[in-house]
Amino acid sequence: MEQSIEKNKTGIIRRITAINGMGQVLTVTVGLIVLCLVFGIINPTFFSSRNLGNLLRQIAPFILIGIGQSYVLITGNIDLSIGSVIGMSTMLSATMMTKGVNPWLAALITLAACLVMGILNGWLVAGFSMPPFIATLGTMTIGRGIAQIANGNYNTNSIGAAAEGFRNFFYYGKVAGIYTTFWIAVIIFLIFNFYLSKTKTGRHIYAVGSNINAAKLSGVSVTAVTIKVYVISAFCAAIVGFTQCASAGMGAMDAGNSYEMYAVAASVIGGVSTLGGQGILFGTVIGAAIWAVLQNGLQFAGAPVAIRNIAIGIIVIISVLLDIIVRGRKRSN
Amino acid sequence: MEDYIVRMEHISKSFPGVKALDDVPLDLKSGEVLALLGENGAGKSTLMKILAGIYTRDAGDIFIFGEKKDTWNAKIAKENGIAIIHQELNMCQHLTVAENMFLGREPGKAFLLNRGDMNKEAAKVLDNLHVDISPKALVGSLPVSKQQMVEIAKALSVNAKILIMDEPTSALSSKEIDDLFVIIRQLRAEGCGIIYISHRLEELSHIVDRVSIMRDGRFISSGSFSDYTMDSIISDMVGREIKEKFPHVDCKAGKTILEVRHLNAGRMVRDISFSVREGEIVGIAGLMGAGRTETTRAIFGIDQKESGEIFVDGREVRIRKPSDAIKNGIVLAPEDRKKDGLCTKLPVQHNISLPNLDLISDKAGKVIRRKENTMTEKAIDDFSIKVSDPGVAVQNLSGGNQQKVVVAKWLSRKSRIVIFDEPTRGIDVAAKVEIYNIMNQLKKDGIGVLFVSSEMPEVLGVSDRILVMCDGRITGELSREEATQEKVLTLATQFEKKIETKGEENGTEH
Ligand SMILES: Nc1ncnc2c1ncn2[C@@H]1O[C@H](COP(=O)(O)OP(=O)(O)OP(=O)(O)O)[C@@H](O)[C@H]1O
Ligand SMILES: [Mg+2]
Repeated sequence: MEQSIEKNKTGIIRRITAINGMGQVLTVTVGLIVLCLVFGIINPTFFSSRNLGNLLRQIAPFILIGIGQSYVLITGNIDLSIGSVIGMSTMLSATMMTKGVNPWLAALITLAACLVMGILNGWLVAGFSMPPFIATLGTMTIGRGIAQIANGNYNTNSIGAAAEGFRNFFYYGKVAGIYTTFWIAVIIFLIFNFYLSKTKTGRHIYAVGSNINAAKLSGVSVTAVTIKVYVISAFCAAIVGFTQCASAGMGAMDAGNSYEMYAVAASVIGGVSTLGGQGILFGTVIGAAIWAVLQNGLQFAGAPVAIRNIAIGIIVIISVLLDIIVRGRKRSN
Repeated sequence: MEDYIVRMEHISKSFPGVKALDDVPLDLKSGEVLALLGENGAGKSTLMKILAGIYTRDAGDIFIFGEKKDTWNAKIAKENGIAIIHQELNMCQHLTVAENMFLGREPGKAFLLNRGDMNKEAAKVLDNLHVDISPKALVGSLPVSKQQMVEIAKALSVNAKILIMDEPTSALSSKEIDDLFVIIRQLRAEGCGIIYISHRLEELSHIVDRVSIMRDGRFISSGSFSDYTMDSIISDMVGREIKEKFPHVDCKAGKTILEVRHLNAGRMVRDISFSVREGEIVGIAGLMGAGRTETTRAIFGIDQKESGEIFVDGREVRIRKPSDAIKNGIVLAPEDRKKDGLCTKLPVQHNISLPNLDLISDKAGKVIRRKENTMTEKAIDDFSIKVSDPGVAVQNLSGGNQQKVVVAKWLSRKSRIVIFDEPTRGIDVAAKVEIYNIMNQLKKDGIGVLFVSSEMPEVLGVSDRILVMCDGRITGELSREEATQEKVLTLATQFEKKIETKGEENGTEH
């Protein structure tokens, strides 16, 4: 009796550690805690409730784009258009609002436009077997162009008082003492985490990334799966675009610049493999948090921007390197 | 003391959750072929990977040419003249045959690669093996059997003194096997020591001098091949006797389940017509490259059909993609497990449930954990898949157990017709019998079974009716009673006149 309980216990532990990339997730979680402690020691105001509140709001966009990019990476593809879709989202919604369109209607129309970009990405990649790097490089350029053309090659003016509700919903409001931006990220994480880990489509996504032939032969529609992940990625990027529009109270043409790469970084730090088939969204959340904490903490520690960039780059490389070394050692065992 | 070129003593090795090797010895003399035998998951490949320096041992000693080796890794093993042909193909699909053969030791001065020399050298080795492959062909464009020959050629090209062959023949046809045996005998005469792993026990008598048998990570027995009988080998391997190697049950053939009419799909599937009835197993025999796999792929909707009709239970079905086939009750367990059969990075559980998610999820698409667990446990049980936990990634299973997962995932759903393409590749004797029993059970349940196999005794022993293919066409049909090895071979080599003229066959070149 006791033995069987014992066996069950190790079974559960083994099951958890057997989840692909779980080792990395545990390591980076420890890393995140250590980082916070270090920054807290350097500058105790890091732990002030004001900074923590800001920090959570800063983490949110990285969580969102990280989730989108992770979905795409798990199928073995990549989405370079994320940053441009953020730009599109910010500019389209802001332009419409300055022209007097109801903010919510503007957001809805913008969302639809962004999802079309997602469909286009998935269709190019799966329907024509186009290398995802090239296909999304194309849509990245197109997306930025749309962002620029939206208001005739100018940033927009203030989106005005009519957009007060919109701005509060996406950026300035608080629920239970925490900024709404963070809650939005949490809710989207919960939904998409469930979708990826508990549903049929989630299984299909991992299968496509692990072995596309075996997935096809098992009756999985690779095209449908690919379109779905790119649409999810575009959806997340569109939401980030809204938060940026709400935050600035205007549309900036270069909004979201380079965010696709931040999204790759958050995913990879969190244990998502760029080769596909591997990773969990919780890891991505931790990866996103590390990214944002580094930015915030280094700023608090008084490091100039250039030093911040160098430090963050080094940490990304080290964290991935660590994973490769650990995995390599496991293999040669 | 005899001149042992390899001596391994008290070798132990554990992986998380499994003790793969427990105090295992092994020795090899020069100029002999040693067969290393054992069930799936017995630890054969693990032991060989330790010898080749790919895995490190937990305990034990290794002596090479009488010298104790304390530091041991893949590089040192190579320097000591050890070469290994892995059970799983390990090749870069996008490189050419010659590039693969000389990977990491390309000839040429300084940084300049000497392509001419490399291709010439590769051609020489391939020629020696009697294989008709251009050194410039892309490996990815070759069928598995040819890839396997390249893998063998690669190992031979380093002039190893100790050659390990882990199931080299599981993907080869009888002609290629014969060529390989000639080479093995030649190497033996030159004084090489060869360790040979295979689940095709009938081929042992052609080349083997000594056997060493393992079970469950332990050493069981070893000795001269002539001191063993086939039955004693089997009972040492599986720990019990196996009475009937090809169990056959008689059923009355009922109504037609599957009918294929005038199917055309490329050069390898030409005007194929046949039917499968309730209560019968239809075997498809033929040489490697006869178009058998292509036929099953066309039926299942993987490759595009040019023309032809398919009927299931008398109703015409349109199959454009695998999911159409599955919906219409046709499933296919494919031949190449690494390429088509499995998502090796994913857990056993997710592989088994992948084609069956429709059965175990609710309307909203949520996978019901309880149902999935039940399905996986049943599959692991039915096929005695050796795995410590269903959450383990498939890549950590032994080769034979991976193969069982391929078959298990397709039999976890009820279908009307099951197509098996080389289902017993790399599976041990006992498990083979289990698969035959499962096929027989399907047949008794009125499910149609179509069975492609290159192992002659197996097709002859298990099928009720045999279709023979050659060069993309069905050249004949034999009933169980009239089928003999000779008749099958005659039909399998009925090439059309115009194709016999060479040139056509080198279609693999790029
Ligand atoms: N990398 C690995 N990680 C975890 N377990 C492993 C690994 N490699 C092998 N094993 C386990 O070790 C045991 C022995 O495996 P091995 O591959 O040596 O068997 P084998 O005798 O070659 O079987 P087969 O005839 O099926 O090829 C199996 O239980 C297998 O699951
Ligand atoms: Mg093996």
